[in-house]
Amino acid sequence: MRRIGIWIAVGGLLLSAAACGGDSGAGGGTPSARTLSVGFVAEPANLDFTSTEGAAIPQALLVNVYEGLVKLDQRGRVVPLLAEKWEVSGDRRTYTFTLRKNVTFSSGAPFTADDVVFSLDRVRTDWKLKIKSQLDVVDSVTAQGDSVAVVTLKRPSNGFLYAMATRLGAMFSRTGVADLANKPVGTGPYTLGSWRRGDAIRLDASPSYWGEKPALSSITLKYFKDATAMNNALLTGGIDVISSVQAPESLQQFADPGRFQVIEGTTNGEVVLSMNNARPPFDDRRVRQAVRHAIDHKALLETAWAGRGQPIGSMVPPTDPWYEDRTGDYPYDPAKARELLGGRTFSVKMRIPNLPYAVASAQVVKSQLAQVGITADIEPLEFPARWLDQVFTKGDYHLSIINHVEPRDMGIFADKSYYFHYDNPEFGRLLASADEGTERQQTDDLKRAAKLLSDDAAADWLFLFPNLIVARKGVTGLPQNGIAESFDFTALARQQ
Amino acid sequence: MSGRLNAGLVVGGALVGLVVLAALVSFVWTPHDPTLVDAARKLREPGGGYLLGADKFGRDTFSQLLVGARTTLYVGVVAVGIAALAGTPLGVIAGMTPHGWLSELIMRVSDLVFAFPALLLAVMLGAVYGAGTLTAMIAIGVATVPAFARVARAATLQVMATDYVLAARAAGRRRPAIAVRHVLPNIGSVLIVQASVSFAIAILAEAALSFLGFGTRPPTPSWGRMLQESQELLFSTPRLALWPGLAVALAVLGFNLLGDGLRDVLDPKLRRIRADG
Amino acid sequence: MTIYLAKRLAVLVASTAVAAVVVFAFMAVLPGDPAEIALGVNATPEAVAELRRQFGTDRLAAAQFLDWAGGLARGDFGVSYVTSAPVGPQIGERLGVTAVLVLGGMAVALVVAVPLGTFAAVHHRNPLGAVISAASQVGIAVPAFLAGILLVFVFAVRAQALPSGGYVPIAESPAEWLRSLLLPWLSLGLVQGAVLTRYVRSAVLDVMREDYLRTARAKGRGSTGALWRHGLRNAAVPVVTVLGLQLATLLVGAVVVERVFVIPGLGDLLLNGVAGRDLLLVQGVVMVLVAAVLLINFVVDVTYHLLDPRLR
Repeated sequence: MRRIGIWIAVGGLLLSAAACGGDSGAGGGTPSARTLSVGFVAEPANLDFTSTEGAAIPQALLVNVYEGLVKLDQRGRVVPLLAEKWEVSGDRRTYTFTLRKNVTFSSGAPFTADDVVFSLDRVRTDWKLKIKSQLDVVDSVTAQGDSVAVVTLKRPSNGFLYAMATRLGAMFSRTGVADLANKPVGTGPYTLGSWRRGDAIRLDASPSYWGEKPALSSITLKYFKDATAMNNALLTGGIDVISSVQAPESLQQFADPGRFQVIEGTTNGEVVLSMNNARPPFDDRRVRQAVRHAIDHKALLETAWAGRGQPIGSMVPPTDPWYEDRTGDYPYDPAKARELLGGRTFSVKMRIPNLPYAVASAQVVKSQLAQVGITADIEPLEFPARWLDQVFTKGDYHLSIINHVEPRDMGIFADKSYYFHYDNPEFGRLLASADEGTERQQTDDLKRAAKLLSDDAAADWLFLFPNLIVARKGVTGLPQNGIAESFDFTALARQQ
Repeated sequence: MSGRLNAGLVVGGALVGLVVLAALVSFVWTPHDPTLVDAARKLREPGGGYLLGADKFGRDTFSQLLVGARTTLYVGVVAVGIAALAGTPLGVIAGMTPHGWLSELIMRVSDLVFAFPALLLAVMLGAVYGAGTLTAMIAIGVATVPAFARVARAATLQVMATDYVLAARAAGRRRPAIAVRHVLPNIGSVLIVQASVSFAIAILAEAALSFLGFGTRPPTPSWGRMLQESQELLFSTPRLALWPGLAVALAVLGFNLLGDGLRDVLDPKLRRIRADG
Repeated sequence: MTIYLAKRLAVLVASTAVAAVVVFAFMAVLPGDPAEIALGVNATPEAVAELRRQFGTDRLAAAQFLDWAGGLARGDFGVSYVTSAPVGPQIGERLGVTAVLVLGGMAVALVVAVPLGTFAAVHHRNPLGAVISAASQVGIAVPAFLAGILLVFVFAVRAQALPSGGYVPIAESPAEWLRSLLLPWLSLGLVQGAVLTRYVRSAVLDVMREDYLRTARAKGRGSTGALWRHGLRNAAVPVVTVLGLQLATLLVGAVVVERVFVIPGLGDLLLNGVAGRDLLLVQGVVMVLVAAVLLINFVVDVTYHLLDPRLR
C-alpha cells in the first residue's frame, strides 16, 4: 500500500507543478509581446572583442550594442549607420564620413568625430587580435569639427570600407573602455542588462537610442552546449528562436506551421576540409587533388547535415559579387583519385573540433577516403581551446574540418603561416591587386584567385553552412541570410 | 532463496554470454561494414539484410551493435584489469598488516583516489591527453582501484583471523608465503564478485563519457556514442536510441546479476563484504 | 570519541592538502599557455609575454602553487585567465545550484528506496518482494542521462507539462524553480533510488535475522511492529554509509544531468572550463568537488562511529 502511496505523491507533485505553470505557458517564465529569448550555441568568454577572439562576442554585441559608421545589409552591401553619408576622393585614398547628430552612448556621453578618431586609433594601439591588420592600410584619422571624420589611406583599398562594417569599425566612447570585458558601452539600440555566466545574456532596449526604437524591451540570449537541449527548449517554450540549428535531422519536429517557422538561407560559413599543405602527404598537390575527387559532396551533405546547405567549390560564398560555381572542378571520381595517388596509401591524422557538423562530416570523409586508400584517424578536440592550440596555432594535423565564418575571408590563404600553410605567390599577388584596383578589377582578380585555390586544391570545401533558423510563429524580423558578424536583433519583433 | 538467486546467476550469465558472443562474432563477421557511410541507405527501415535498419549515415545498426559490444568489453576488461591488478595487492598488504603504517598509508591514499571519481578523472585526463577510449579506460580503472583495495583488505582481514592462517603464522611462515598459499585463493571469490560489479559500473561510465564526448572516438562503434548520435532523431526514428539503450541496460543488468549470483554461490558468508564505490 | 574525531579531522586536512597538490600538478601539465589562449591565435608575441607576466605564469610552478593554495585557504580561487572574472563567486553560485540538484536527487532516492527496500525485505519470500528486487536491478542498469532524455521526451516534449531544461533561481519564481528542477531530480534520484533500494533491502534483511526480532516474534508480537521499533534504527547504520557514498556519486552524476537539462551547475562550469582551457576555473571546480567528496566521507565515518554502538 505504501508503495502506491509514494507514486501517488510523486505524481501529485508533478501534476501540481505542471498546473502552477499552466497559465504562463510551458516553462521559461512569462513570455510577453515585448521580450524574446534566442538560443545560441557558443557563449562569449568575455565581452571584449578587441582582445578576445571568438565569433560569439561580435555575434551578440555588434550592431546591437556597438555600432560602426557603416553596416552590412541583408544582401551584403555596405550601408550607412552612424555615418549619414561618406565621400571618397578621386584617388580613392581619402574617406570623408559625415556623422549623424544627436547620437549618444549608453553612458550618456555624446558621440562625436573625436570618438571616431579614438576608436580607429585604438585598433592600432590597443587591439590584440591579428585581424586588426585589415586596418593597417589606414594612414591617419582626423576630426573636422564634431560631425566630420576623415580617414586617409596609405593606398587605395576596396577592403577598407568592408572592414569598417565588421567589429574593427565598432565605435567606442572615450570614457567607456575601462572594463570592456564586462561593461560594454556603445551607441546601439540595446545595452547589456545582465549576464548569468554559462547560462544567458540579457540585452535591454536602450532608452536613449538615436534611431528607431526596437519593438522589444529586452532580448535574452540563451546558450546551449547541446543541440537536442536547444531543440527541446523551443519545443517546450523555453526559448522563441533557435539562431542556428545544430541538429538538422531534427527539423521534422518543427514541421507544424501553426506553431513554428523555419528560415533557411545562406551564410559566409565555408565548412573547409583543411589539409596541411606543409606536411606530407598533403604537400603533394596530386594527393590533395585526389582527396577532392574522393569525396562525394552531395552524399556528405545528405548524411552529415541532412541535405541542408549547399555544395561549394572554393572559398567564396554565393552572396559575394565574385562568386562563381566551382563545384564542377573536382567531380566525385574515386577512380581518378586512386589514379592520382598512383597506388600509394596513407595514414593521416584528422583532428577536428568537437562540434556537431565537424564530427558528423569527419565520419563521412573518413569512410570515403578509405575507399581510395587514405586512412584517416579522427580525433575530436575540445573547441575552441584545444583545437585552436593544437591545429590552428601549432599546425599539428594533416586534416581538419572547420566552418570558417568570417566574411570575405579568402585572404587567409594568402598568409602562408596560417594553418593551411598554402604557399602560392600568385594568389597573394591577385589579392593585393584586387584590393587596390577598381571594382571591376577586384571582381575579376578575386574570381581568378578563387579558381586558383580550387585548382591547387589548397583545401577541400565540404559545403556552405546553411543559415537555419527555427522560430515560433509570429516572430518577425529574423535575418534570412547570416552574412554579417553579428546576429542583428534590431528588426526583431513578436506579433500576438 | 537460493533458487531465485541462482535464477539471477543464470540470467546474468546468459546476458553476459550474449555480450561476449556478440563481441567475438564481430571479429569474424558482421552483416555489413559498421562504419561504411552510404547515403543511399540513409535511415533505412529494418528488413532485407538490415535487421535493425540503418542510421543517418546509412550504417547498419545491427553491425554497429555487434562491434559496440567489443568496445564495451574492451573498456570493461582493461578498466577492471587495472583496478584489480593495482587494488588487490594493495588491499592484501593492508589487510595483512592491519596496524602498520603501510596499511594506514595505503588506505588513506585509497580514500584520496576515491575522491576523484571516474568521470572527473576522465575529463581531466581527456583535457591533457585528448579524449578517447584509452583515457576513458585508464580513468575508470584508476577510479575503481579503491573499491578493489577495500574489498581485498576486508576479505584478507577475515582470512587472517582463520585458524589455519594463525597456525601457519605460529609455524613461522613468512608473510609472502601466507599471502600466496592462503590469502589469495580464499579471497578470489570476493574479487570475482567485485570484478563483475565493477564491470557494470565501467559500462555505465563509458556510456556517460561518450555522451559527454570524452569517450570512444568516432567512427568506432560504441553503444554510448550510438545513444548520443541518436538523440537528434529520437523524435522521428526512436529505434536508433532504443537498440543501444537496450544493449547498455541489458549488459549492465547482466553483470550485476552475475555478480550477485556469484556472491551467493561462491561464498554466502562473504555476502556482506562489498565495495561501495 | 574525541580522539577519533581529532585523528579523523587531521586525516581530512592532510588529504585535502595532498589533493590540492595532485590537482595543481595535473593542471600544470595541461598543454597550452594560458596567456596565449586568452589572447587567441592572432595575438602578438609581446602581448603574450606581457599577459604572462600579469598572470604570474612566468614564475616557478612551486611559487604558483603556493600562491594558489594560499588563496584557497582564504577562500580566494583567483581570477580567471580567460573570462577575467573572479573564480570563487562563480563556483559559489554554481555550487548552490548543484547542491540543490544533488540533495533533491537524494531526497527522491530516499523516498523511493526506504519504503520499497523495506517492503521488499519484509516480503522477501513472496513474489511482490521479488518483483521490487528485479525492478531495482533494472533501474540500476539505466544510465542517468538516458533516464533524463526519456523524461524530457515524455514530460516536456510530448506532454508539454514541464520545461525541458534551464534553471530558474528560486528568488525569481519559486514555482518555476520547482518546475525546472523536478525532472532533473527525478532522473538523478530514480536511478540512485534503485541502487539504494537494494542496500535498504539487504540491511533490513540482516536486521530481521537478529535475535531481538526473533525474540519479539517468539513473544507473539508482530514482526512489523518490532521492525519499526528496533530494526530500522539498526538498519540505518549501513544505509547511512551508503547514502554518504551515493552523495559523492550523485555529485558526479549531476555533471551529466546538468548537461542534459541545461542547468548552470558545477558540472556545467567544469566542462565549460575544460573546453575554454580556463585553467584556474577547472582547478577550482575539481578542487571543490574533491574536497566535497572528502568532507562527505569524513561525515560518513563520524556518523558511523556515532550510530554503531559496537564502535562507541
